[in-house]
Amino acid sequence: MPAARERRGGRGPAAGRRRHRDRAGYLFLLPWFLGMLLVVIPFFASLYLAFTDYNLLNDPKWIGFENFREMFADPLYLQSLKVTFTYTFVSVPLSLAAALLVAMVLNRGVKGLPVYRAVFYLPSLLGASVAVVLLWREIFGREGIVNAFLGWFGVQGPSWTTDPDYALSMLIVLHVWTFGSPMVIFLAGLRQIPTMYYEAAAVDGASRWRQFRSITLPLLSPIIFFNLIQSLIASFQTFTQGFVMNNGSGGPANSTLFYNLYLYQQGFNQFHMGYASAMAWTLLIVIAVFTGLTFLSGKYWVHYDN
Amino acid sequence: MNDRTPSRPRLSRRNLMKTSGLSGLGLALGPGLAACGRGFGGGDDSSGGEGEINMVWWGDAARAEVTEAALDIFTEETGIAVKTEYQDSGPYQDKLATRFAAGDEPDLMAQRMDSLREFADRGALLDLNTAGDAVDLSGLSESARALAEVDGAVYGVPAGLNAIGFIVNRDITDEHGIAIPDGDTWSWDDLAEFSASVTEATGGEVYGTGFEASTLANIIVWIRQQGEDFFTEDGRFGASEASVQAWFDMIQAMRDAGGFPPAGFFEQVGGGAEQSYIAAGTLASQIIPTNNFLSYSQAAGGNLALLRMPGETTGVRRGQSVDCPHLWSIASASEHQDEALRLLDFLANDPRASQATGTTRGVPPNSQIAEDLMGDLAEEDRTATEYLIGLQGEDLPPSFPYPPGGSAIADALAAIATEVEFGSMSSSEAAAAFVAQSQDALEQ
Repeated sequence: MPAARERRGGRGPAAGRRRHRDRAGYLFLLPWFLGMLLVVIPFFASLYLAFTDYNLLNDPKWIGFENFREMFADPLYLQSLKVTFTYTFVSVPLSLAAALLVAMVLNRGVKGLPVYRAVFYLPSLLGASVAVVLLWREIFGREGIVNAFLGWFGVQGPSWTTDPDYALSMLIVLHVWTFGSPMVIFLAGLRQIPTMYYEAAAVDGASRWRQFRSITLPLLSPIIFFNLIQSLIASFQTFTQGFVMNNGSGGPANSTLFYNLYLYQQGFNQFHMGYASAMAWTLLIVIAVFTGLTFLSGKYWVHYDN
Repeated sequence: MNDRTPSRPRLSRRNLMKTSGLSGLGLALGPGLAACGRGFGGGDDSSGGEGEINMVWWGDAARAEVTEAALDIFTEETGIAVKTEYQDSGPYQDKLATRFAAGDEPDLMAQRMDSLREFADRGALLDLNTAGDAVDLSGLSESARALAEVDGAVYGVPAGLNAIGFIVNRDITDEHGIAIPDGDTWSWDDLAEFSASVTEATGGEVYGTGFEASTLANIIVWIRQQGEDFFTEDGRFGASEASVQAWFDMIQAMRDAGGFPPAGFFEQVGGGAEQSYIAAGTLASQIIPTNNFLSYSQAAGGNLALLRMPGETTGVRRGQSVDCPHLWSIASASEHQDEALRLLDFLANDPRASQATGTTRGVPPNSQIAEDLMGDLAEEDRTATEYLIGLQGEDLPPSFPYPPGGSAIADALAAIATEVEFGSMSSSEAAAAFVAQSQDALEQ
């Protein structure tokens, strides 16, 4: 360290300029650092609160692991885990498959590609927004266009938003619809696959399906891996869709009680902020475990071509 | 497209994947970050100038306009500036809790009845008994004063009085020649008969009646009519399984007979009168808070009848009670308590305040002011005010404030009522589950 200092802190005009430049660098970092405090302080505060009984109005009381113990005896907590897992494990593969499919179609050299790309990307910008969830609620309403459409075929559609058997599936469809952002990443990945592989395969008489399995999938696997992890993490944290769809109730019959929605209810409606903090940290662990498992599994299916 | 040459330099994907995976993980902590609490950096500098008080409530733009008009009179007279904030009722509650947690509580606030004790029991609200005679409560009726009382302490003044009432669209009944039962003496059986006849006469175009089984205000009336308290005086859950089951059965019987809409009918529509089912013409009758009678009347064609709840004279005892949309309460930690008390007294006892705000928050709690105001009111508001004055003069069993944990009970009922509605739970299973969960929620 002293050696490094010696070198940097040397006298002479060049060194002075460098010191000056360093200071500018730190100055530019300052906003980030201040912003970081806004993250770090609540971060550790919530870790502390997770071990307390805290009702927002009185000082927190230390209760050790009580919140965590209580969680696994709380049927609504378990319900929220079930909803979140179902949502994640159904919607993530579906939306990635949709993203890959559309990306492959667009990659075949469609005219006006930028337009299509933007059109397909748009929903992923809007999907979590309040306005679109409200719109979705209307579309799937009892007299919405989905049921009107089904009506043409003589099918009486269910009350999508109020029937506990259908409410979550409607939100899954909404999630799948927002495949745009993984799609754009897939598209970028597809364009990096050298065409000569396909040309060589075509010469050898490989079918399209064979080309997809033997060239596209392996070469795209790092991108799939990336998209999978991003989508898993985002999906575990779903909040807005559930909150807006049923005004924060998690209804009908708790069928859309997402983990973060229940966390919010506990923290802000029922004044159990200690419990809510414990839930937040448990979610962190759950996400870490699934991310870790995905990384471990990557050894078997992710291929880096260099 | 010849930019796909293999020799093109590219990012090391392996590293890219790893960093993005980890940064995504960091995002997972988002929800926890919201848990910033007292002593953790919450600002405690009360903004605003000398003597300015901060007042918060929920409502719409129309309510804001009349409220500001009242506050202008106050500011002009006392020189005390009032900085107001208002928003929708749902997020209001969450924001209020957060402000208290951050040590940035408003001076005067709309305090919801169902969370009064959440705040009061924790010492967050000022007991008006400790403020001498700064706020004159002598003009309030007995039932109005009781609303803000918890164990002898007084945590505010009702912003207005209301009750729930049954509205019936006379346009529909007149058209089909259906008689509306006597609103003071009708029973739940009368409602069932009436609703079935409306549905039948309209060929299923209009359902005779409809209300949510899970709205606490509705079931509370029913439980009281059975001679039980939903919330008891000592803050416990008092409804029996039999009475809860009877509530579900009564609604199911109307549904089976066609007078009540099928499962899944009630969707999340906005809370306003314009979006209501009676305004849309799909229901002939529904339950509303009486202070909204005028807006429902305007939205539904101007020919509504206001009835009492069914079963008031046929049950074990009276079920209805005088309620209020919210209290005006003062934060115990407010730095401008004297000014806030003056404003509270002005709102409660100055006729000019009530003249400005009308009955947007219900009938003024001060009986004299309420009567004086009658002449200025629109016809529907007068009907609703007479309804309330009538109720206040009657011998109703006392009602007790929501104990802490009450909001969990509302959530539990919403979930269970849906299960019954869709037939995935029998009414007896549902009643047992609801009673068990409610008792559990209040024990925590």
